[in-house]
Amino acid sequence: MITDRRRIRVGVLSRAHVHADGYLALLSAAPDVELYVSDPAGGAGTQDRGRHGLPPNAHYLDSYPEVFDLGMDGVVITSETRGHRALVEAAAAAGAAILCEKPLAPDATEALAISAAVRQHRVPFMIAYPVRFMSVCQELLARQAAGQLGELVAIRGTNNGKLPRERRWFVDPVESGGGALFDHVVHVADLIDALTGAAPRTVAAMTNRILHADLTGDAETGGLVLITYDSGLVAAIDCSWSQPALAPTWGGLTLDVTGTRGDVSVDAFRPSVRGLDAGSGRPIRLGYGGSGDERLIATFLETVRGRRSAEPSLEVALRTLSIVLAAAESAGTGRTVAVRPLTAP
Amino acid sequence: MTVHRLRVGVVGAGVMAGIHLGNLARLGHQTFVHSESGAAALANEVGAQVCGNYSALLDAVEWVVIATPTDTHHQLALEALRRGRDVVVEKPLARTYRESAELVATAESLGRRLRPGHVVRFFPEYVHLHRAVAAGTLGELAVLRFTRAGSYPTRAGWFADLGRSGGIVFDQMIHDLDQARWLAGEVAEVSAVSRRDLSGAAPVQAAHVVLRHTSGAISLASGVWGAPNLEFRTTFSVAGTGGVLEHDSARERPSTAQLADAPPTEGLLPARDAADDPYLAELIALLDADPDRDPVVSAVDGAEAVRLAEAALASLESGQPTRLGG
Repeated sequence: MITDRRRIRVGVLSRAHVHADGYLALLSAAPDVELYVSDPAGGAGTQDRGRHGLPPNAHYLDSYPEVFDLGMDGVVITSETRGHRALVEAAAAAGAAILCEKPLAPDATEALAISAAVRQHRVPFMIAYPVRFMSVCQELLARQAAGQLGELVAIRGTNNGKLPRERRWFVDPVESGGGALFDHVVHVADLIDALTGAAPRTVAAMTNRILHADLTGDAETGGLVLITYDSGLVAAIDCSWSQPALAPTWGGLTLDVTGTRGDVSVDAFRPSVRGLDAGSGRPIRLGYGGSGDERLIATFLETVRGRRSAEPSLEVALRTLSIVLAAAESAGTGRTVAVRPLTAP
Repeated sequence: MTVHRLRVGVVGAGVMAGIHLGNLARLGHQTFVHSESGAAALANEVGAQVCGNYSALLDAVEWVVIATPTDTHHQLALEALRRGRDVVVEKPLARTYRESAELVATAESLGRRLRPGHVVRFFPEYVHLHRAVAAGTLGELAVLRFTRAGSYPTRAGWFADLGRSGGIVFDQMIHDLDQARWLAGEVAEVSAVSRRDLSGAAPVQAAHVVLRHTSGAISLASGVWGAPNLEFRTTFSVAGTGGVLEHDSARERPSTAQLADAPPTEGLLPARDAADDPYLAELIALLDADPDRDPVVSAVDGAEAVRLAEAALASLESGQPTRLGG
């Protein structure tokens, strides 16, 4: 058991994910944290890869083994999705607590391997679903826990954003698992999971590639997913990359929950100062209210220190990924499919 | 506002019958009412003539406006068409696609006008949306989303009877199924999920329907018949290669009132003017005899909306998508 007075060592592995730098900033500011980073695939010439643009107190190492050799208490895995497995296996073998970016894995095989490694070495494992940590979502969960919504009947969720052009791997199904389905289903699926605890049963998904048709490869850019749960709840998720590139913000997340005692609507990223730049004619939108990242990292550090169990857990990650995989199968086959739980045989 | 004074008969005595009758009177038409019950009270409000039976009403009028429970639409409309009358039928056109198709064919062969009351096409936010899409502002449509949510209709028992009303899909969501088709074209595949919960103080029902259009666009319509306290709310979000348009009725109110003493405003409010009243705009368009003027919604549109609703119910039954041929 790690005492809370000791400085803990946290390593950020890869900066491939767009969230890596945000986590670096938060970790850099956290008290009693020794911060290490490695980004061997970072390449030359970009501001936000490799050893460029790091917080001053971050120690850069050229390779992952060098990071592990120093003895990490926790690691944050922000590689391409295809890279999660190798890093999880290494971290688990090294006994480090893990915070892993989403989605857990690009396919079932990788997911099961990750699950096996975590279970074998019994390390704390958290999946990076920051949205549930936002105050507005915590409030929704509290209302549900207090019974204010009654029985949950139907949920409508949207998580729409811009095409993630800053990182090509997001749109390369080999590296990411898929397109919009793999990027934007899980945050909503996680909120539903946290609200209901029900198991997903069937998925019917439709996808297309009308938006950003110039993209090479076959990543879907538009997606609508219908989910039924064993509690009877029905949900619909729009995960499309439908936010125009010139929009003033990255996109947003909404959740409309219908229960027998009423409805709650959440528009998590709505609060903004709004206006218009008269010169360019472009709208101005300055969002506020936090993204959940602060609480996500704080929770991870508490987990690393052994003060709490990892949540959202590996089980949550597997349950929500199973929906994504079912959606991909449904979209590909044109059939409604049963969700296959991602549990070891 | 109206050039020609028509003789128009309303069948039914519920909310929609009342709205149409009131607007017909405002437009200066000569009005008649027939209903199994409640006709006299309704007719009294506008000075309409009560007809004791349907045949008498059909004798007296040029146009019939059918605002009765869904499963009676087919028979009433058929009779009216065969009697040589032009017909407005409240949505849905009929309870089944087979019946709807028969109405369309009958109207066509008899040279009569048959118009479904898809009033949402006349709501200004949907008018704007359609115009923008038609003008190419949004480019090629990709992903469309519609929601329509209110409280569970307990006013009249037939709504909750799936066989009579078609449930939430036929009665409420059909508007958005029609919108999706109006905007993104014909539909190749329909998939639906639904849930009804009777455990609370009042029933709650909801459904989600996704459509794959032949164009490749995908649409989601979500409907809620919710808790008794729910205010009616509609939203849409339509994304294409050229841009996005969205609307949320809960956010587009020109005023809010927070008054210490606010008794119900029923009767206090002045009548809305035509520009502000989609039901009035709808009636004007549907009763328009000018063959060069677009009635905005056709009998075929009404039948196709029923076809989509039926495909959704079939998907609920089978647990798989329904493919539409042709």
